[in-house]
Amino acid sequence: MTLSSTGPAAKNRTSTPAGNGSDGGRSSVVLGPRDRLVGQLYVEGDVRVVGTVEGELEVTGSVEIDEGGRVTGPVTARDRLVVGRAGSMKGDVRVARLIVQDGATFIGNVSMGKAALEAPPKPVEKAPEAVQPPELVQPVEAVKLSEAVKALQPLKAAQPVKAEQPAKPVQSGKAAKLPDPKAKRR
Amino acid sequence: MDVQEAVAGSAHAASADDNGDGKRDGQRKFTMGPTDSLEGKLVYDGHVHLDGRVEGEFRVTGNLDVASGANAKILIEAANVTVKGTVEGSVAARDKLTLGKNAKLNGDIVVRRLQIDDGASLNGHVRMGDFEQHGSGG
Repeated sequence: MTLSSTGPAAKNRTSTPAGNGSDGGRSSVVLGPRDRLVGQLYVEGDVRVVGTVEGELEVTGSVEIDEGGRVTGPVTARDRLVVGRAGSMKGDVRVARLIVQDGATFIGNVSMGKAALEAPPKPVEKAPEAVQPPELVQPVEAVKLSEAVKALQPLKAAQPVKAEQPAKPVQSGKAAKLPDPKAKRR
Repeated sequence: MDVQEAVAGSAHAASADDNGDGKRDGQRKFTMGPTDSLEGKLVYDGHVHLDGRVEGEFRVTGNLDVASGANAKILIEAANVTVKGTVEGSVAARDKLTLGKNAKLNGDIVVRRLQIDDGASLNGHVRMGDFEQHGSGG
């Protein structure tokens, strides 16, 4: 089981109701109406969003958004995504099954089927972006986010897709050093 | 405006004016059968039921249904759109788009309301909210 959440410390609560938690290795995560998640969440199991999610959701089971639940960001659900009549989903989704009830808000790209799930989005890719010294108005928050993303990376290690390693800088220094001694001898 | 009611294949496709069937809400209805085929552009004041093989552009003041056996490569603009068959192309629903449980839709959609039943397949971009008319070259 892997569950992680990041966000403003005071506001962020991921509630797992008693008796509704781990079920033989599968998690069941509920974000209540006053809960808020900012960052990445990877769950081996199901997620129900009644609160707010700003970031990425990747779930091996199903995601359900309803009763005022709002998700802004990409969602990958290996089983299904259900957007209830009072739910809002803004972002690209990759799912095996998709159910949208009348009244729901839905904006984004939809990729369905096996092909879509075989090449899941790599949340790790965002890390370098966040690490960049931000010229944002709220640099403190941006740094926090990058740290949180870093902390999450080990959790993604099980994924077949490896994190993009920053290309090693061309070691021009070595090549440049070689001719130097010769030049100095002369 | 370019109005064309092109019916190729069998004579099942008929507007309600001809045979009186399919009147709904006092509006005319253009109905195709499973063995019919249609290719071209249709601008129609009323409801449209598509079946068989369909290719082209459909601008309809009423509702448009795509039957479960239908195979359509189309651009749709209608009030309510219900897809039960296979559609490749963009869909603009001024009110609601419904994808039935066996529907397959590959294309972008612009809708005010959206309902996707379990079992339906969708690949494309979804936009909800303000309705904009398609700017097609046709």
